[in-house]
Order: sequence, then structure tokens, then C-alpha cells
Amino acid sequence: MSWADRLLFVDRRIIFLFVFVGALVPIIAPIGLGVTVSPPVQQVFDRIEEMQPGDAVMIAFDYGPSDGPELDPMANSILRHCHFRGVKVVGLSLFPLGGVDMAIARMRQLADELGAADGVGWVNLGYKDGAQAPMKAMGENIASVFPTDANGVPYEEIAMLEGLRNYNNFEMAISLATSILGEWWINLVNAQFGIDVAIGTTAVSAPKYYAYMEAKQTLGVIGGMKGASEYEELVERHYPQAKGLSRTATMGMDVQSIVHLVIIFFILFGNLMFIVTRGKKEAK
Amino acid sequence: MKRQIPIMLAIIASVCPVIAFFFPDRWINEWFNQRLDAWMVIIASFALLLGIVSMIQVNIHKIRRRARGWGFSIIILVTFTLMAAFGLFGGQGERADGSLYPFTWMFQFVFSPLQATMFSLLAFYVASASYRAFRVRNVEATLLLIGALIIMVGRIPLGTLIHPLVPDIAEWVMKFPNTAAQRGIIIGAALGAASMSVRVMVGIERPYMGKS
Amino acid sequence: MELQLPGFGQWIAAFFTLFVFSFLYKDNILYRFAESVFAGVSFGYYIGLAYINTLEPNLFSPLFGDFSSNWSLLIPFAFGVLLYLRYVPKLAWISQWSLAVYIGYYIGVNLLQRLHGEILPQTKGTMLPLNVEFGQLIGNLVVIVGVITVLIYFFFSSPHRGPLKPAARTGIYFLMISFGASFGYTVMGRISLLIGRLTFLVDEWARPLVATVFGG
Repeated sequence: MSWADRLLFVDRRIIFLFVFVGALVPIIAPIGLGVTVSPPVQQVFDRIEEMQPGDAVMIAFDYGPSDGPELDPMANSILRHCHFRGVKVVGLSLFPLGGVDMAIARMRQLADELGAADGVGWVNLGYKDGAQAPMKAMGENIASVFPTDANGVPYEEIAMLEGLRNYNNFEMAISLATSILGEWWINLVNAQFGIDVAIGTTAVSAPKYYAYMEAKQTLGVIGGMKGASEYEELVERHYPQAKGLSRTATMGMDVQSIVHLVIIFFILFGNLMFIVTRGKKEAK
Repeated sequence: MKRQIPIMLAIIASVCPVIAFFFPDRWINEWFNQRLDAWMVIIASFALLLGIVSMIQVNIHKIRRRARGWGFSIIILVTFTLMAAFGLFGGQGERADGSLYPFTWMFQFVFSPLQATMFSLLAFYVASASYRAFRVRNVEATLLLIGALIIMVGRIPLGTLIHPLVPDIAEWVMKFPNTAAQRGIIIGAALGAASMSVRVMVGIERPYMGKS
Repeated sequence: MELQLPGFGQWIAAFFTLFVFSFLYKDNILYRFAESVFAGVSFGYYIGLAYINTLEPNLFSPLFGDFSSNWSLLIPFAFGVLLYLRYVPKLAWISQWSLAVYIGYYIGVNLLQRLHGEILPQTKGTMLPLNVEFGQLIGNLVVIVGVITVLIYFFFSSPHRGPLKPAARTGIYFLMISFGASFGYTVMGRISLLIGRLTFLVDEWARPLVATVFGG
């Protein structure tokens, strides 16, 4: 086996080690690189910025713990943004594997860091099975599928929800989605009920949503940790009160920079070795 | 009878949402369709739990036969029972004193780290696969590589440091060529799925009948 | 800030995280243990989730709290329970009734989603103007050519001959650029998950531990 072959078939644990160290170092010693904002994220921010105090937004927490590093910071900054603007947030979840607990945790964080009280600035309606069925039902009457909030308080008894009967009473719906749920918010809820829908999604799903965004089926896409860091940046730029609050996505993007470089190096190096070995084989 | 009833039920259930869509203000919508949506939430809930019966059967069978790794089956059944009991006989979220219900505690400190870490292993495998399999063998593979590199450089803060236009190039790729391809996939898949739906709606395809 | 040792929950979470990471070195009993706990807890979670969030508030509470107003809920309740007859061999055929309603409903909803929510708006979104400024014109042409050629690639499964051949080939090129972009995003997504776990280990477990033990 030639030296190039040996490098090509190196034990993969050595590659693992490079990735591990590349990720760990910037976490222990953050670098602090800047953030540039892209139009799809700006559009979502601007739409909330246009709203008046007292307007309502529906946020669907359609993701689980494995998407937390990407979608938690999005949720945090959107919740903060709504809080600063005095926009009411109605949270819910249609994703079975942990969505409701992600919603509980994010809203608890909002209450802890900014003092937003349950039932005043936000309400968490909890989780429902059936995905499209509750999506359709909410077009007529939200309480028909969410008779209580996540704490068991009846819908009609929550003062903040007064006048919020169906999608018509909301300015927009935001789905923080992994899997196909975000697409259903677009091709069912937006298509059939006309409410503006914005999508916050994992990086893996982001490319697909561009097709919906360009067809004006969603008004913006916040894609992955990068999108989340952009939203963090926008909120901090416009609201000085946000200074000092956690910005986990922005910190994470430092790490992304380093690990991407490691992986790009491996891709290019792998190809170089491939070309060298192919050249030798052809010569033989 | 055994064959006709499910076919009739499937046709009725599938036509209801379609009728409601075309006659949104008519009596069928108010009287029946909204109720059907609310009912489906309940039926879907039962359906979600269907697989659990098989899971219990498989693991009990494994323990009885002392099959390889039967000890792990015991762990599965014990943790399953514990978590289910916390859910059935407790609450969710925070108690009034600020402490967590055991169901939520287990989610936060057991389920959450396990699921998140399992998926995070993919970071290592994607790196190793990039090194071993990402080769510029032909035009297609080269385009794949170029697309990947543009995004990997254009979407990180370092990309801006290399040149301020780098993020714009990445955005252009996403907005035009990527949109075109994704749109082709969406339309293609939707045509396939829609025709499949029609086949089920008229009873040609019967996925609810199983193999029998 | 007052430093505290990591709490019991953090210790549990940290150990499980490390158990799973140990798989990277090689398969071992700690990983297998973590995997089994994960499977058990996930299934248990479904039960609690469905009961607390759907079955209790949407079915049991209204049905047993005010039966005369909500008796019609017996219908979905019955259909739901009938699903489980599939595990009783002699009565398994009855479970097909429930399954037929369940699948039928979602098929009907799906048909509308696809036709009305995808095919029509996506097609409309591809009918782009060509009397626009140069940069936009290029972009619009790329989208129009891309969508048509990708569809040609998908829909003509017979051997591509004549003008179809270069068209389908162009379609593949568009797909490859998009898949490449998706791959780039996938890398970013997977690393995000790793960042999440390492941040937890460093900030919520190791840092407070080291600081308390060594008086940071």
C-alpha cells in the first residue's frame, strides 16, 4: 500500500478526533466572529417589527431535543422580539417527540430572563396528536382541539386568549420545524386559511423551504444555527434591552467556522490523494 | 362485508375534507367536518401508541427465550414502565413550587441528552464520509462538491472575512439553482402523491387492508 | 456568580452523553445500556405525552365530566380502541374499519395539500417575468430552465433520446448543485448538534465542577 493509499484509508477515529478538537477549542475559548444578516431572516424579523402591541402570533414548537441547538436559539430570540414589541404569543406543538417540552422550556426561559408572565405575554397550549387534523380545526375554532392550555386551564378562562378564535385573529404563524411539519404549515395552513407563515428550520431542511419562499408561500426562512445567529443579531441591534442575554447560536457559529474548515480540508485533501493514487494506477 | 365496509369507510373519510374544502360555509362543514377534525386528533393519538404493543411483545419474547442481549430488553421494559407511569400518574412541566414533575425531569435529563447525543454522532460520520467518499469522479460529482463548498464557506462567519461577496454567492445559489431543483422535486413528488391519493380514494389502492 | 456543583440531573445527563459518545471509539456495553434506556424512555414518553396532552383533555375529561353534551366522543373513542383489535387474530379484520377511516381522512387532506398547496402555487411561482433587469432575468431563466429540466429528468423514465437527453442531463446538473448545497447545510446541521452536546458538557457540567473543586 502506497503512502497516499495509507492516508486515504486512515482509521476514521483520527478524523473523529480532529472534529472533536475543532469543536471543543472554540467552545472553551470563544473567538467572537461577526454575523451578516441574509434577506430570508430579515423578512421574518421585519414582519414582526411591523406589528402593533396587542397583536398575536402563533408559534408552533415542532421540534425535539436533537434539533435544540439549532431551533432553541431561534425560539429564544423570536420570543424576546415579540416580548419587546408587546406582541402576544400563543405557543403550541404538533411534533410528538418532545415538541411540548421544548415549548415549556423556552417559555420558562422567557419568563426567567425577562419576567414575561404565563397568561399575560404568552400562553402555551401544549401538544396535540394528528398534525393536519388540529391544523385544519384551528382554521375554525382553536378551542375545539385545544380545550385547555398545557397547565389544564380552560381556553375560555384565559384572558389573553379572548378574541383569538382562529387563524383570522393572528398576524402570523411561525413553525419552528424539523421534519415535514413546516411544509404542512405552508401547504395546508397558509394555502387554505391565508395566514402568513414563517418557517424556522434545521439546516438540513432549509434548502427545500427556499422553493416555498420564492413562490411567496412562506414569508421567510430562518435556516439552522446560521439563521438563528442572524435573528439574535437583529434583536440585539434593534433592542438594547437584549444586550447580555444568551446568544448560543452566535457562539456556535464560531465553532461552525472551525469545524467547516476542518471538513473542507479533509474533502480537498481526500481528493488530492484520490487524484495522486488514480494517476499512479493509470501509469501502471 | 369484510371487504366492503372498510372500503366504504375509507372513501367517506377521504371525501369529507375535500367536500369541506370546496364548500367551506355549508352545513356539512359546520355539522360534520369540524367534528371530524377534532375526532381525528383522538384517533391519531390511539394510532400513535399502536407500535408500543409490538415493542412490548418483541421484548417479552426475547426475555422468555433468553435471546442474545435479553438483559437489554429488561432495561427497555423497566424504563418504559417507569416513564409511562410518570406520564399517566403525574403531570407535565413545573409544579407550583417551581420543581419539575418527574415526567418532565426524565425528559430533560435522560431522554433529551440521549436523543441529542445519538444524533450528534452524525457530525463525526459526516466528516469521515466527506473525506472518504466525496470524490470529483465526473461532472455531476464536481457540481455536488462545488455546491457543498459554496454553502460551507458562504454560511460561516469566516466566509465574510474571505470576501464580503461570499455570503451573497451562497444566497444566489440557494435562491435560484437550488430553488429550481427543489421546486422540480416538490412538483414531481406532489404529482405522484396526489395520484396515489386518488387511487386510495376510489378504492383501487387499499393500504388499510394489510396483506390479507 | 456563586458557583455550585452540577446538580443530580446534570450528572445523569453528562454520563448518558459520555456513554453515547463512547460508541465513537467502539461499540461497548455502556453505549448499549444508554441505547436501551433511550428506547424504553421514548416509548414511555409517547404514552405520557398522548395521555396528558390529547386523551385526557380532549377525550376522557369532557366525556366523563359532561357525558350528555359530549357523548359523540364515544365514536372516535371506539374507533381508537378498535385499532388494537389487530393484536387479536380472530377480530383483526374489525381493526381495518378504524384504519380505513384514519388513512382515508389523511389521504383526503393530503390530496388537497399536494394539489392546492404545492402543485398550483409552485407552478405559478415558476411563471416568472422576463422583462426585468439583467440580474433578475438571469435568475428567473435559471429557475424556469431548472424546474422544466428537473421535471423532464423525473418524468421520462424511458431512455432519454433526442432533445430529451441534453434536457434531462441539465436537470441532473441542477439536482447536483442543490444536493451539494443540501450536503453543505447537512454538515452545518450535524455540527450544530455536536456543538449543543459539547456546550452542555463544558458549560453546565465540567466548568462548574472544575471551578468548585479547584476554586476557580
